[in-house]
Amino acid sequence: MTRHWLGLPIATLACSLAIAGADASRTDWNAAYPEKTAVLGLHGDAGRGAEAFVICQGCHRVGALGRADGSYPRLAGQHASVLIKQLTDVRTGRRSNPKMLPFADHQVISIQEIADIAAYLQALPVPATQGQGAGNDLARGARLYRADCAVCHGAHGEGDADKFYPRVSGQHFKYLLRENQLIRDNKRRNANPEMIGAIKNYTDADIAAVADFMSRLPVEMVKQVP
Amino acid sequence: MTGPRDLLGVLACAALLLQASPSAADAQETVKTVCAACHGADGNSTDPRYPKLAGMDQEYLMRQLKAFASGKRREETMSAIVAGIDPNDFSKLAGYYGKLKPAPGKVNDSRLAAKGKALYEDGNTDSGVPACTGCHQSDGQGNARFPRLAGQHQAYTLKQLNDYKSGRRATDPLMTTVGKRLTADEIKAVAEYVAGL
Ligand code: HEC
Ligand code: HEC
Ligand code: HEC
Ligand code: HEC
Repeated sequence: MTRHWLGLPIATLACSLAIAGADASRTDWNAAYPEKTAVLGLHGDAGRGAEAFVICQGCHRVGALGRADGSYPRLAGQHASVLIKQLTDVRTGRRSNPKMLPFADHQVISIQEIADIAAYLQALPVPATQGQGAGNDLARGARLYRADCAVCHGAHGEGDADKFYPRVSGQHFKYLLRENQLIRDNKRRNANPEMIGAIKNYTDADIAAVADFMSRLPVEMVKQVP
Repeated sequence: MTGPRDLLGVLACAALLLQASPSAADAQETVKTVCAACHGADGNSTDPRYPKLAGMDQEYLMRQLKAFASGKRREETMSAIVAGIDPNDFSKLAGYYGKLKPAPGKVNDSRLAAKGKALYEDGNTDSGVPACTGCHQSDGQGNARFPRLAGQHQAYTLKQLNDYKSGRRATDPLMTTVGKRLTADEIKAVAEYVAGL
């Protein structure tokens, strides 16, 4: 049962490097480093990924659906490129996640297993059961999202695998809320500087409204990778 | 979903079986004269200090015997026992106990067990304890990678979790992390719960 996700062409990496290079004064949010480059060059096997993922599901839950309380994000349906970047960022200290690290560190997960897990997760179904916000400020949320976020995360929250922009549809409201805050407050060290620019003047109410809107983006609008 | 890993496993097992076949009777003899005193001839010890071994995965039990021998798992009684046994016999001993039928355990405090169930199925999101179900499955029946916990003596499970926490048992980095994050109360509760699985 071998499923190959189209290994990201090295061109993609080169491309994102060029973008980062054009703005070298800011943090190199997607700079190349050996581990990430190595994993992106591997073929992931979803069958092996399912086995390797067992040690993750105590937190991310069966089917990688996460928890509505936002403690653990959904991973199902996320782009393999994004999953790989986030995991290798955590393993190399570019994004802090002390709760997770001992379960995803070098002595427990190999780089082949990262590629396998990413292939497995990317193809998982995304049921529309994610946690949502209160729903009382959706007009504002929609306006902000379309003005400031859709350019990268997509009109339907589908993200962009080639550019390492995360898919945000189907994600739990409380996780989106926390990441919005962390990125605005410069506490997620691997965040994209343009995104920080887009969100830095948001009030807490703006952040909650946009997260609520995002948590209601219809999941079926995103084409699932076969 | 048979992958190359499974195939390798099968080959390795076949090799071991060939090696082991002549003296299955010796294993039985060792069990009778040495192991049974503590673990019971049927693998279901009645003294809660000694783990039940019946129905546990053979590969898992082998890894533990090797760990007692190497000192990764520090425990005086078993270290002394394995020092007197030919390491070539480990797989036969493990195979013997693995094939026996496990006897159910007994919950003594059902309120404590209910707390343990919550932790077992949900973990602790504040301290980052993953749900035990993630690896050990909801029935705790175990496999080669994750040992059987179902029906085990409370006192034994409690001691193991404390040993992971303190580092006396350094057989696995995942369980060491789990142990370090558990509180004394959580350990008591979850040990009570798995006894009833
Ligand atoms: C002890 C709990 C725990 C375990 C076990 C765990 N994680 Fe996580 N993981 C988390 C937490 C908490 C976050 C969110 C961190 C944050 O809020 O920034 C996370 C985030 C992630 C992310 C980033 C998601 C995103 O949208 O940016 C990925 C990818 C991930 N985990 C993959 C894994 C994989 C693969 C494994 C197993 C090898 C694993 N995790 C095991 C707790 C865990
Ligand atoms: C220039 C492109 C860009 C824009 C504009 C942008 N983002 Fe992002 N966003 C990203 C990238 C890239 C990441 C992942 C960063 C990383 O690699 O850690 C991200 C991550 C996120 C995450 C975390 C997702 C996860 O799974 O962990 C959230 C939530 C988010 N963005 C919300 C927003 C919101 C809300 C806006 C509008 C106010 C916005 N973004 C605008 C590029 C963008
Ligand atoms: C004097 C009592 C005693 C005898 C005899 C004894 N054991 Fe043990 N055994 C123990 C104790 C105590 C433990 C728990 C060790 C610990 O706390 O780490 C144990 C643990 C084990 C374990 C680990 C089980 C697990 O779930 O991880 C295995 C395997 C084992 N014994 C096999 C044997 C075999 C095989 C023999 C006979 C060759 C034997 N034991 C003889 C007392 C004994
Ligand atoms: C990330 C996977 C994982 C999670 C989550 C996990 N375990 Fe384990 N557990 C293991 C592995 C692997 C072993 C075997 C370790 C070894 O060889 O010593 C183990 C061994 C054990 C043992 C020793 C059994 C014996 O016979 O000696 C106990 C007890 C245990 N786990 C209890 C728990 C409890 C309780 C939880 C939840 C609080 C838990 N585990 C969560 C992976 C896990």
